[in-house]
Amino acid sequence: MKSVEQCKQGLRAVVRFRRRSVFMMAGVVIGVATLSVLNSIGENTRRDTVKRVKNMLGTFDTVMVRPGGKTRGMVSLSNVDPSLRFEDAAAIAREIAGVKQVARLQNAFDVDVTYRDQQISPAVFGVSDNWLALRGDEVEQGSFISAEDDRKMVRVAVIGSDVCKNLFPQESPIGKTIRIGGVPFEVKGVLASRGAGPAGASLDNIVIIPVSTASRRLFNRDFLTMIIAQVKDPGDSTRVAAAISQLLRERHQLAAGMLDDFNITDPKAVLAQLTKVNSTLTMTLRGVAFLAMFGGGVVIMALMTLGVSERRREIGLRRSVGANRGDILFQFLFEAFIVASLGGFFGAAASWGGVEAVAAYQKLPAVFDQESLFASIALAAVIGVVFGSYPAWKASRVDPVAALRS
Amino acid sequence: MILAEGISKTHRRNDGAPVHALRNVSISISAGEFVAIRGASGSGKSSLLNILGCLDRPTVGSYRLAGEDVSSYSDRSLARIRNKKIGFVFQTFQLLPRTTAVENVEIPMVYSGGRVDRRRALQALERVGLGARARHFAAELSGGEQQRVAIARALINDPALILADEPTGNLDFAASTEIMRIFKELHTDGRTIVMVTHDESIAAHAGRQIVLSDGAVIQDAAICAEAQQQ
Ligand SMILES: Nc1ncnc2c1ncn2[C@@H]1O[C@H](COP(=O)(O)OP(=O)(O)OP(=O)(O)O)[C@@H](O)[C@H]1O
Ligand SMILES: [Mg+2]
Repeated sequence: MKSVEQCKQGLRAVVRFRRRSVFMMAGVVIGVATLSVLNSIGENTRRDTVKRVKNMLGTFDTVMVRPGGKTRGMVSLSNVDPSLRFEDAAAIAREIAGVKQVARLQNAFDVDVTYRDQQISPAVFGVSDNWLALRGDEVEQGSFISAEDDRKMVRVAVIGSDVCKNLFPQESPIGKTIRIGGVPFEVKGVLASRGAGPAGASLDNIVIIPVSTASRRLFNRDFLTMIIAQVKDPGDSTRVAAAISQLLRERHQLAAGMLDDFNITDPKAVLAQLTKVNSTLTMTLRGVAFLAMFGGGVVIMALMTLGVSERRREIGLRRSVGANRGDILFQFLFEAFIVASLGGFFGAAASWGGVEAVAAYQKLPAVFDQESLFASIALAAVIGVVFGSYPAWKASRVDPVAALRS
Repeated sequence: MILAEGISKTHRRNDGAPVHALRNVSISISAGEFVAIRGASGSGKSSLLNILGCLDRPTVGSYRLAGEDVSSYSDRSLARIRNKKIGFVFQTFQLLPRTTAVENVEIPMVYSGGRVDRRRALQALERVGLGARARHFAAELSGGEQQRVAIARALINDPALILADEPTGNLDFAASTEIMRIFKELHTDGRTIVMVTHDESIAAHAGRQIVLSDGAVIQDAAICAEAQQQ
């Protein structure tokens, strides 16, 4: 009961000294707003990176094999060694345990694609029929390339949403004939939009055809630009990557000591790398936010300490009518707590707007969950108590006799 | 009611030099007495009152209040005694200026362990004739009114002992007369009152006078007589 009544006294003091309370709050508001906005930037960036990498790697359970000794960004027929054969893909599917399926890719960039008088230069991907499932893509209209299309080297194409927009702004593309490098293909389907890849370029400016058709009827190349092996168990990807490496070395008759003529990307390694970059970013942002919160705490401590010397007579009076040291300590701590919590609340409300603005700028959905809202209010309350404890202790040590004489 | 024996109080000045505010003071006051304490400025009146009010501790000596030896009491226990048994009235009123009269009167109830009872606070204000001013800020009241609010506050927990340190020191004649009328009424109710004052005519209201000089009791005959009665 005493503490309830004391809390009321604390609340009244907060109102009575409202100007000081507002200044104390302002420090915390700035701290919390900084924290929330930076947190949201960090979280947005993390989600964005993961999304882009997912766009590149598909579903994170795929081991990528590319020709040549080093990774060089996006592969295409014009920049790879002819070391990865169709038979290598078949051998991986046949011989490596733990591989669910293997997709083949033969791709080129800047191929002229025309429809009537429209001409564009999208990426052209010759892929096996399992590409879609493996990448987690979706077909919006029509259907994807089938196993039969691939086997029979049919001239059919599935187009990305950008290509669809550019070549078929009005009409439905399904069943229409487009020319890829002069060769006619029938449009069979349209992919759902996928947004940007890791480099920021659109992944929707693409035309997909059967890989056998690409190899024999369009590009006349008998090597692949990428093999993608999907593992049954994502936890197993490192072992599968090693087994593939060993198999390919045997097949390519590389003697011990010779460098690989291919390179393999283990999704686990990529994720680990990304997480590292991200945690550095997050830590930096957290550090800045922490400093802002610390600043808010110092403001509380400074203003409250001043307040204690101004309120010495009040403290002396309260002691003379029955407050003990603990009561005084409690009241001042409570005042710090309530002011900081209110600051946390207003800070959370203010940062709502800030977070929306940042999200709009980053062109990403705002990250502002209830959890982080409550967390920042709770953190503000803790800051209040921690930084309020020194002035509250000072208040409890005021000598009532001396205070009443003044 | 009050039995102080051999009390000395030594303050330390900032430069560390000792100031003997009280020297070997022994006082006994029975329940229901109205005592005035007089003496020159700096003679130790306030120091004595603060010790009697359990707000300060003697450097040497023992103090029994209502049969309890409070010399060795903890901060908490002393606070409880101040809350329940003692009502202070100060020369400078010591009200919270930006707080209403009734809320000032309620403050001692905050530390009593129960609910703050607004009705009781209003009754206390009515008793000192300030029922109509209950919602005014303390700073808006005249000196006499402020002191009456302070008296209502001192009475709110119904203490047996009222300690007043120059209660009329800041008031004009009319206001002083009103305050003394209230004090006499409280005395008639059976409360023990110890009042510090400079003013002989004010002291004349009391039934007994103790005069201090340089920290010692110089008018002590009556005191000895009282002590022997106990
Ligand atoms: N906290 C303190 N530190 C140092 N000296 C003090 C302190 N309190 C009181 N004194 C000294 O003790 C002596 C007695 O002081 P006290 O306040 O009891 O006198 P008083 O009789 O109430 O005087 P007044 O009539 O002016 O109020 C004075 O000399 C005063 O300067
Ligand atoms: Mg004095």
